[in-house]
Amino acid sequence: MTQRIQEISQLDRLIHEPARLAIMLMLGGVGEADFLYLQREGGFTQGNLSGHLTKLEEAGYVAIEKKFKGKMPLTVCSLTGKGKTAFTEYSSRMLGVLQSNGSAG
Amino acid sequence: MKDHPETPAASPGKRAASYWFVDGLPDILAGMTLLLFGAVGLWWCIHLSTPAAQPHFFFIAAGLLLLFWKGRAVLDFLKSRVTYPRTGYVRPPDESSVTRLGNPATLITMSLTPGPPPDENVTHFNTRTVYVVFLWCFLCSGLDPWKRWYTAFAMVTLAATLYLWNRRSERPYSWWSALILALTGPALLWVDIAPRLQSLLLPLLAGVWLTTQGLFTLVHYLRVNPYPRAPEGVRA
Repeated sequence: MTQRIQEISQLDRLIHEPARLAIMLMLGGVGEADFLYLQREGGFTQGNLSGHLTKLEEAGYVAIEKKFKGKMPLTVCSLTGKGKTAFTEYSSRMLGVLQSNGSAG
Repeated sequence: MKDHPETPAASPGKRAASYWFVDGLPDILAGMTLLLFGAVGLWWCIHLSTPAAQPHFFFIAAGLLLLFWKGRAVLDFLKSRVTYPRTGYVRPPDESSVTRLGNPATLITMSLTPGPPPDENVTHFNTRTVYVVFLWCFLCSGLDPWKRWYTAFAMVTLAATLYLWNRRSERPYSWWSALILALTGPALLWVDIAPRLQSLLLPLLAGVWLTTQGLFTLVHYLRVNPYPRAPEGVRA
């Protein structure tokens, strides 16, 4: 039990926040997506999404790039290598905690 | 997704795969290519060709090659004006996997596979579908009565199989789309067409089928997602 609680306390708090977890999950699935897609899929407001992306970018988990598709400017986000590693680690740790909880119960 | 509330909840990868087809543009492009080159082949066959040479197949092959070669560029251009400003951009399916389309056995397997792995945003729904329609029709075309009955039976079976098998995939068939496919076979029973023209009818039918599907999807998409009033610009 103590070990499980310690595991929970070791979870990456930056990813653990629900909105940021949703962003990481979406980007992990699609490879890269633009701001508008993330906003619509996650049901975020512009300011909310922008704030969370900035935090993830500052941590080096997400890369934000300005691109053009034709004449359309896009703010394209993708997971960095560090972000993928952190997300994989977070997922396995979280799964481990939940599974051990299931087997205990 | 808001556009298709009937779509079951799926992994982000599957949703991205589905997203590629959300505007109907890939289906329209594939359908129009088949229609155009099928029509040119038909015209060639009626007016110029000798029955023995059958060079009209050249046009069909050229159309498919052009679709594989330049289809992505055309789609990118269209999507940058229609889809990305409305509902956003997601990395498109991987182009390199098109090379897997060489083997007929692979094509059939891929056609009946409900979808790509959950973490893969790659799908070739339209090309898979067209190839199966082609393959069945090509095998079944001819004036031999049993072959025509076989065509009718095969098309109904194919439509039912695709509908049921893909029902829970990232890009399920609509019932009316499967119905059109199912009715194509029996309809051919009552239509007398010269044998050399029958094979050319097939790309035309597949083209009409895909274009109709695509147009229906596009109209629905444009109605649900009107063009944003203000330009999105820099947002992050």
